[in-house]
Formats: sequence, structure tokens, C-alpha cells
Amino acid sequence: MLTFVGLGLYDERSITVEGRTAIADADRVFAEFYTSKLAGATVADLEAYHGVDIELRDRPDVEGDPEPILGAAESGDVVFLTAGDTMISTTHVDLRLRAADRGIETRIVHGTTAEAAAASLTGLQNYRFGKATTLPFPYAHGGDDVPASVVETIADNRDRGLHTLVYLDIKVGIGPSGPDPDHEEYMTADHAAGRLAEPLDAVGVVVARAGGPDPLVAADRLSALADRTFGEPLHLLVVPGDLHVIERDALAELAGAPGDALPDPV
Amino acid sequence: MGRRKKIVQECERLMDAPENIRNIAIAAHVDHGKTTLTDNLLAGAGMIADESAGQQLAMDTEEDEQERGITIDAANVSMTHEYEDRNHLINLIDTPGHVDFGGDVTRAMRAVDGALVVVDAVEGAMPQTETVLRQALREGVKPALFINKVDRLISELQEGPEEMQQRLMGVIADVNELIRGMTEEMDELDEDWTVSVEGGTVGFGSALYKWGVSMPSMQRTGMDFGEIIDLEQADKRRELHERTPLSDVVLDMVCEHFPNPVDAQPRRIPRIWRGDAESELADTMRMVNEEGELVLMVTDIGIDPHAGEIAAGRVFSGTIEKGQDLYVSGTAGTNRVQSVGIYMGGEREEVDRVPAGNIAAVTGLKDAIAGSTVSSVEMTPFESIEHISEPVITKSVEAKSMDDLPKLIETLQQVAKEDPTIQIEINEDTGEHLISGQGELHLEVITQRIERNQGIPVNTGEPIVVYREAPQSESREVEGRSPNNHNRFYITVEPLDDDIVDTIKLGDASMDMPELERREELMKQGMDKDTAQNVEHMFNTNVFIDDTKGIQHLNETMELVIEGLEEALEDGPLAAEPVEGALIRLHDARLHEDAIHRGPAQVIPAVRRAVHNALMDAEIKLLEPIQEVRIDVPSEHMGPASGEIQGRRGRVDDMYQEGDLMVVEGIAPVDEMIGFSSDIRSATEGRASWNTENAGFRVMADNLQPEIIEEIRERKGMKLELPGQVDYF
Repeated sequence: MLTFVGLGLYDERSITVEGRTAIADADRVFAEFYTSKLAGATVADLEAYHGVDIELRDRPDVEGDPEPILGAAESGDVVFLTAGDTMISTTHVDLRLRAADRGIETRIVHGTTAEAAAASLTGLQNYRFGKATTLPFPYAHGGDDVPASVVETIADNRDRGLHTLVYLDIKVGIGPSGPDPDHEEYMTADHAAGRLAEPLDAVGVVVARAGGPDPLVAADRLSALADRTFGEPLHLLVVPGDLHVIERDALAELAGAPGDALPDPV
Repeated sequence: MGRRKKIVQECERLMDAPENIRNIAIAAHVDHGKTTLTDNLLAGAGMIADESAGQQLAMDTEEDEQERGITIDAANVSMTHEYEDRNHLINLIDTPGHVDFGGDVTRAMRAVDGALVVVDAVEGAMPQTETVLRQALREGVKPALFINKVDRLISELQEGPEEMQQRLMGVIADVNELIRGMTEEMDELDEDWTVSVEGGTVGFGSALYKWGVSMPSMQRTGMDFGEIIDLEQADKRRELHERTPLSDVVLDMVCEHFPNPVDAQPRRIPRIWRGDAESELADTMRMVNEEGELVLMVTDIGIDPHAGEIAAGRVFSGTIEKGQDLYVSGTAGTNRVQSVGIYMGGEREEVDRVPAGNIAAVTGLKDAIAGSTVSSVEMTPFESIEHISEPVITKSVEAKSMDDLPKLIETLQQVAKEDPTIQIEINEDTGEHLISGQGELHLEVITQRIERNQGIPVNTGEPIVVYREAPQSESREVEGRSPNNHNRFYITVEPLDDDIVDTIKLGDASMDMPELERREELMKQGMDKDTAQNVEHMFNTNVFIDDTKGIQHLNETMELVIEGLEEALEDGPLAAEPVEGALIRLHDARLHEDAIHRGPAQVIPAVRRAVHNALMDAEIKLLEPIQEVRIDVPSEHMGPASGEIQGRRGRVDDMYQEGDLMVVEGIAPVDEMIGFSSDIRSATEGRASWNTENAGFRVMADNLQPEIIEEIRERKGMKLELPGQVDYF
């Protein structure tokens, strides 16, 4: 049995009770933190909290050589952990398919995801989000500009009046010049706002440390956000489309948006 | 004021009158006497003592050149010559004749408008004669002929006037046949470039004894062949020199028959520059306008112990001066000119400015390499100076002392900058760097110079031949998946036609040229229209075709696709040797919606794997470099001589008599030719003279393939077994 468990957003306590039970019952526990990470907890914190050993896997292990994980799941109960939810931004469906292909039973234990937090913290309505996108570091997509698909996604959503959730790149274990075990880099919202302000100076909403004790939400024009700092990672950015009257009020009240920065409600 | 200073001043004065400038190269088969001839010209111009011409070899400035008695680098010199009451400025480049240094010759041709081809009267036109002629004509450089060592016909071979005339006419006819064949397709040419005695474009003489004649000189001095034979036989060579000095004859010929820059540039610019012909820049270059924007083509990088790196090249437009900030093609930003100068013998003389039409020596252009276009405005660079032969031999170089490591790396990088036919591969992990070049001698000279000139003691490995890998048939469609399985590429590979490969090698079709021109050139060589339209990238001699239509996000992923493709082609699947002659088609692709899930870690391995699998399915084979071999040998040694070719997996193609010698012609693999010089010497008691020329790559015999592949894989520390069968189609 292979159980995918989402750890939730912030630290060792963000997991669901069901997830905690799954870990306690497992023969082996694997985890990967190259797609995202818990900002408020280390692997050691997790191990101490759950009282288990966690076997960390990097990208080549999971994508190139998942055999040890699948082998273990064939004969015992294996839990595979990621931050957030294992199937939303981290796309581990390939691992699940490979397991299914070998006749291994799989199960999902959900975790809270950035997707949910973006809607809850900003007051922007979940029903009004369009396609999401990720802004990569310049060196990670082979050009030094903002990839056209990112700009297009935001523009298409806005044409239809929809909000865009922009995930911000993280790089762990791989740096500008290739694999580097010590490399750890998290894109900040001010950096992202600065790069996006160039093609599109719209309003943006920064969400920092969602799920933690002191989450921050801030709305302003992207060019203004670019000049501020938002503290520790992780950050994400929402580019709103048309604003419903209550959404506009939420951004003004909960995200401190200057009145003149927000468009009239539709 | 010293004589030298006076010449420099005269040169400076003449620089501004392009009608009176001749930029010329002297080129020939090895040992036919170029450098000795050049010394004559220098002496004639008063730049070295008359007596020392012939022994001094003033142009061979490197110690090893004087030792080996051959020219290795192309050397520059400026001189003046009075012809028909007008003083002329002659900028001359002496070029190496040995086949290993052919890259220098090609580069020199870019800087000049006329090439004096020197041929030994006894040996006649030789393989390198053909090569240098081709190099000159490709660059649109006009040839003239000097037949050297005529004294040997008289004194050694005891030939009478008639025999001599017959022999000389034979040489001229051979050379003309070559020129005719090569100029056939030069549409821009409105005159006949074959050489003739009557036309004054052929000279005869002896560079060693410093006399020469031509039709115009015979008319002027009244000397005929009969008189020359008498004087030569009577050993009155000094009188011969005084009455009809070689330098006057040759320099008159240069002034009369070689085009000046004003005549040459309108014809040459379209041949060597593919920018907008209607632009103002094109106009100033054609007109040799010294008031225009500066355009300099760097043909040579040298090192001066005091001034550092010196870029030499032809100024096609504008005037180069100290303090200018200039763009260097292929690099960002500008370089500031620190000094400009002209060459006098091996030395550089600083001058204030060098205007269009001249050859300049410039310091401060730190980003320039041999072949760079340097200009005061950003512009389309000149056609790359393609030297046709590719490196065939590699040697490892290692510093004996760890302390020398940084200096060795710097020196190797410098070497590659000076001579683009050298390729270097720096390996900072092992400290064992690889240096690849045109032949054993080429690498020997380079490594000796590192030791001697830079004072870095090095260990070098045995020379190793460079291989290639090439597909032999068309593959099935192969799927390449990214590690996360969200991205898939569908690829096939097929062999490219030889005509297209040659066209790419010559630089006649490249990604640097406008799309339309490239498409037309590829179609002319037989590529079908749809394929030619979809060329997305070219790498070495491989072409990548994007046959997909309207795949979302493929555009912004293409750079990564190309990175993966280049990785796959740089290190082929058999033995990590470069792949050549492959046509790779991308038929379809499936990409993840989000940029982060189709980043480099996903796309590059997916494409690399797909290309390698497709190449394996296309029955990729190992290719080895081969050489054409010609041996001239007395008939009693002919057996052992041809045995030396056959014993080296070679093939003898022809044997025939020429004069009193037998000529053996054939081909053999470069790998087997290592050590040939000493073997042939002992096999023929030192009586053979021989010439080898790189002749491209050829598929290695099937029965040798597995063994050699395993050998290379072992040497490179790769897994010995080949990559497995293709997983999925």
C-alpha cells in the first residue's frame, strides 16, 4: 500500500489527524521537499513529532529511480510525504500511476494547499480563479525574461475577469550551474512583482507564510509591491481579475490595499 | 633618422592612397620557397641586408620555425616599392605551406586581395598548391604564379632551353587547369584569372640566388633565357642577381597585376559579407571609405611580450585609431583600442592611425579572436573564416607542477584564440586537458611552444585520433520522456546527404545567415522544400527540423530542446564522439501546462535520450579520419613505399612515373599514419618525399567497430556495454 500524505502548509502541526495516523501505521516513510517545503519545520522536527525515521528523496530518486519506494510499497505500508497536497502543485500522479501499473494499492490523504490558502487569506473567491501558473527563476527556463506562457496565462485569465494564482519558483539541490546539494533558493514576492510589473502593471496580492502563525497579505500595484519586502518564505502572488464588490472590500480591509490602487468593482 | 624609421614614415604617407596599396599573400606547397622569396622582397625594399636574404628567413620569427626550416605562423610585413614612378605600399603575409597549418593560410587570404603562388620548377604543382589556390579563390583573391628553383633545372638537371621551356609551360598549364576549374562558378568575375607569361602574371627565377625574370622584365633588361642559362652555368649568379634582381621582378608584377583595395573590395565584399547590400555600411566598405564607420576583420592574434595580445587584420572601411571603443562580433560591450601599428618584418611599429584598405596591428581588443569582426557600429559579422579541415588528432596536456595549472589553462585558451583550427577542452577536475589539431606536427609545435615560450613544463599523452559517429539509415519514431513523465518528444533521425554536409562544413549554409538564403542553399543541395522550411537549428554538421504544428508552449521550451539536442550530438551514443551528418526531426511533443514542470531538468534529458535512441535505431556507426597520401620515391624503393600504405589499413589507388621518380598515391586512416614519417624513412633509406592531406572521415570497417568503440569507452571511463535497446517507439 502506498499512501500519499499531504503535510499541509506550514509546520509539523499542519498535517491532518488522518495523515498522522497513516504515518504512525507505516512501515517506511519517504518524503520529498524539492517541489515545496514546510517553512516552519525541518525534517528533524517532523521525525521528532511523529516518532519515525523519514527517508528523504531528491528529484532523480523520485522521477528517475522510484524502484526502492515502489518495491517497499509492494510488500508493506509506505507513506510518501510532500508539503501541501501531494497531487496539486507537486504533480506526483506519475508515481501513483507507476504504482497502479504494478498492482500496488494507493490512497490519498489530503493536505491544505497554497491554492486553498490563496483564496481564504485574500478573500478572493475560489470560484473566480482561472488557470494557475509558476514564475520560474530566469536560469531555470532557459531565457532571462518572463516566459511568454506566464504572461499569457495571466492575460487570458484577466480577459475573462478571472484571478491568477502565481506560484513562485523554489530551487533546492540544483542551482544556476547545475546540481548543487547546498543550493536553496526561494523566489520572493517582491522579486516576482518586479519582474511581472514590466509586461503588466496590474494590482497584485502577496501572500506570505500561509498556514503559519503570522501570515501576511498585502495588495497594491505590482510596481509598488516590488519595492517592499515581505519577510521569510514561502511567498505566493495573486493577480486579481475583475473584483466583485466584496472582494474589493476584502483587499482594502484585509490586505491594506490603497484605495486608489484598486479598480472599481464589477 | 634610421632607414627603418624612414620606411615607416613612407608607409604612413602611402596608407591614405588606396590606389597605391597592394595587400598580398605568398602561398605554396611546403618547401617550394615562399619564405626565401619573401626575404628577397624584404632585402629589395631595404629592410634586411641583401647578403642575408635566403639565409636569414626573417619572416620565420619563432625559434622553432628557424630550427625546423618551415614557416608555422602566417607573418605580416609592410614595404614600399616604386613602380612606373609611383611609390606603392605593399602589405605582405607569408603563409605556412605544411598541411597541418592550413588554417593560417585560409585566414591570411581574408586580409589580402592577391596571392602569389610559388611552385618549385622541379616538383611542379603539388597537392598543397591546389589547396592554397582553392583557399585564395574561395576568398575572391586573385592569383599570380612564381616558378622558383629554376636554377636547379639548369645546374642540376642540365636542361637546355627547349626542355626547360617545355617543363615550365607544363607547370603553368597545370596551375591554369586548377584555376579554371575553381573560377568556373565565380559569377562576379569579369576577367580571366588564369596566368600567362605573355600577360606578365608568371615570373621565373631562383629565390636562393635572388634572380628572377618575367616577360616584362626581359623586355626591359633585354635578357633572355639563353643568357640566363649561360650565366647560371658559369656560376655568375651574383651578376645575374645584379642585372635582374628577383625583388624588382616580383614587386613589379605585384603592382601591375594585383588589384588595389579600391578595385578589389567592391567584388570581395559581397563574397565575404552577407549584410544588407543596400546599407550605407556596405557602400563605405565597397568604396574603401576611410571617413566611414570603422570595420576591421581580425585574421590573426599574436602575442607580444611587452604589448600583450595583438590583433592583426584588414581594415575594410573607416580609420582605426587609438582610444576608439569598438564592438567585437559575438561578444557584448566594447573594447578600447590601446594602440595601432603596422608590421615591419617580425616587429610592430606604432603609428597614429591606419585607414581603410590596409592591414593593421591593434592592441586592446581583448575579446577578439582570429575571425572576429570589429567595428564602430554593431553590424552583421563577416562570413566566418571556414578552414575546411577539422581537427583529427587529440593529445592530452598536463602541467608537471600543480602551481602551473592556472597559467596552463590561460595559455591553452590563448592558443585556441590564436589558431581556431585548434580545439581545446579544459578539464579542471582531472587537470588533464585535451588539445586537438590538424596533425601530429601541429600538436607537437603547439605543445613545444607552451613549454618553451611560456616556460610551463608539461606532460603530454600519446596522440589519439578524433572519431565521429554518423547514422546510416532512417530510424523509427522514438519517444523521449522527461523524468517526471509529463513531457514527451517524438523524434526520428536520418542520414543527411553528403552534399548538404559539405555545404554546412564550408559554412555555405548556417544559422547565421538570413533564413531565406539558407533555405535556398539547402534546397539547391537537394533538401526538400518542407524540410528546408522547418530548419530550427544546426549544430556541427547536423540539422534539426521542427515538423510540429501549433504545439502550445513549445516555443518557450525550444531553447531547452536545443540544449538537449546539442548534448546528445556532442557526445554520441557509441563512444561519446561528436555526431555528424544527422537530420533530426521533431514530429510531435506533449508538454506540461506549467513552465516549472517542463524546466531544464525535465526537457534536456528527455530530448537527449530520444536523440540517442533514435541514433541507435538509425544504425549509427563510428567514423575515422583518413588521409590522402602521396609518396615520391625512386623506383627501386617503390615496393616498400607502397607497402607502408597497404600495411596501415590503407589502399593504393595509383602508381605512375613522374620524371625519374615513381609516385604512389593512396589513402590510409590517420590512426595508422601516426609514426609514418620515421617508418617511411627507414623503409626507403630516406629516399622518399611524401605528402599527406586530411581527407575527411570514413565509416570504419564493421569488424573493427566493436573493438574500437570499447577501447574509446574504456579510455573515457564510460560503461563498457553500449546503451541498451530502444525502449519505446
